[in-house]
Amino acid sequence: MKTFRWPDGVRCAVLVSIHFDAESFDLKHTTEDRLYGRFSYGRYGVRAGLPRLLAMLQRRSIAATVFVNGDDAVRHRSAVREIHDAGHEIGGRGWDHTPLSSLGDIEEDALRRGRDVLSEICGVAPKGFRASGGELSSNTLHLLTQLGFQYDASFQDDDLPYLIAPRPGAVLAEIPGVWALDDSLALSARHTHARLMKIWREEFDALEREGCLVPLTIHLRGDVGLTRAARIAALEELLTHMGSRPGVRFMTGSQIAALALASGLTPESDPIDAHRETLRVTPYRGELSVKPL
Amino acid sequence: MTNKTSLAGHFRCAVTLGVDFDGPSHEVGRGIAPQGVHSWGRYSARCGIPRHIEMLKRQEVPCTFFVPGYDAQCYPETVKQIADAGFEVAAHGWLHEAWDMPADEETPLLHRTDALLREITGQPVRGWRSPSGRKTANTMRVLREMGYLYDSSDKDYDLPYRLRFGPVQDDWILELPNNTYSLDDFPFFKFSHTPPSEVLEQWKSEFDAIYDQDRFFVLCVHPRSGWGSGTPVRTWLMEQIILYMKQHDGVQFFSSSEFAQWCLAHPQALEEVHVA
Repeated sequence: MKTFRWPDGVRCAVLVSIHFDAESFDLKHTTEDRLYGRFSYGRYGVRAGLPRLLAMLQRRSIAATVFVNGDDAVRHRSAVREIHDAGHEIGGRGWDHTPLSSLGDIEEDALRRGRDVLSEICGVAPKGFRASGGELSSNTLHLLTQLGFQYDASFQDDDLPYLIAPRPGAVLAEIPGVWALDDSLALSARHTHARLMKIWREEFDALEREGCLVPLTIHLRGDVGLTRAARIAALEELLTHMGSRPGVRFMTGSQIAALALASGLTPESDPIDAHRETLRVTPYRGELSVKPL
Repeated sequence: MTNKTSLAGHFRCAVTLGVDFDGPSHEVGRGIAPQGVHSWGRYSARCGIPRHIEMLKRQEVPCTFFVPGYDAQCYPETVKQIADAGFEVAAHGWLHEAWDMPADEETPLLHRTDALLREITGQPVRGWRSPSGRKTANTMRVLREMGYLYDSSDKDYDLPYRLRFGPVQDDWILELPNNTYSLDDFPFFKFSHTPPSEVLEQWKSEFDAIYDQDRFFVLCVHPRSGWGSGTPVRTWLMEQIILYMKQHDGVQFFSSSEFAQWCLAHPQALEEVHVA
């Protein structure tokens, strides 16, 4: 079986993916009339964080991939256009943070509206998608192919991109993420950014040694994001380290997807297919997850 | 026999390494589709197990892979590769059942996993580790009836012992206790988000104390992504702790079944415990 290979001269690719996650994220916990005080960390990301992040990425000549949902996009049309105009990729993220698996019949409409508002703002349709919380329905991959997406970036199950055929004749590239490379986890545990960068540097050094994809996930937000001035400085130092390694390239999601789609890899069946029958007869026990005492 | 277990005089320190396969069974058993953020178990067969096998072969140390039956059904080739590489395949539930089961539900699942692992590996299964650490006397009785030599689920001691679960003479099983708060990967990668190098220091500190005292080191990791150790830096951690232990005199690496056989051959060294 063919395995994915980076192009000649490339040891590994670093994907800088950004979750826009502004007010839509705060609205998981409050209502529109209360987007003040503790519920304004999302707005921080757009007002204070985004300009700083864009300036840093420009300094380092890095093109990022920014996943934006429809609800945030309509609030921040000019910010989304500014990101696009700066040469970064805009990817889809559905309409809001309602888990896709709970949408049922309206999932397709939510995905379509989320796609359409980005197309309208940027003048081009988004090629990539990452689900809020990484939560997909059993139908999401199929719908993504119908809506013209070329890749999904919601799974966390491989070191390299691969191909999925959710229905005969339709192919989607999968660009899997790495949980430890999501800033919001360590930051929500209130670790310092120095500690987070220690984790990321150790993860990167090992991924780079083995030629794996290095998928970073960065939030704009002022709470669990990396856009405060001190955090951006720490991030820039790490990105500089990464870029200094021979053969390391920064790539956008669609650049990586294009490599996967041209790789000659055999598309795999929809990952849920092998489990549908067992899932049909198994009750939900998600609350069993081990929790701290 | 009421003696306390003592391994003194036989070797300086016994080490057993365990890899709990924990593929998609972990999510599917809880009614969660193994996709998106729930796809960590898919990493086990795709990347984690091959990386662990390669590292363990490079280090030439034995290891026991505890495999849920459902994962073996999904990935029989991977389980065969584990066995063909010379590592022990032991049982770890069917759907990684992390809930209490009545005996009439549990017993057929224990048999089902056992039969499938035997069929794939062509070898008898010698041991079991509870998925999530739940078991009863029924569990142990069925394991004994199936000819298992050991269980590795209890958290109540630092040394192996004979665990008596009933009044009849043969109502006991060899217990190889473990600890999932310190000599495991998921507490650090799921809860505390500890940098890998600090996890290595933690494990070294555990080893140093065990090497000087109880002489029985049991490390348990998971080849999945997410909170597991299948990824490059975390497999590197495993390799580093193995290298560290190898630097110490008298450290002997065993598969769990090899160590169980050693224990059974030295009954005078083992305490017998009855938990009433």
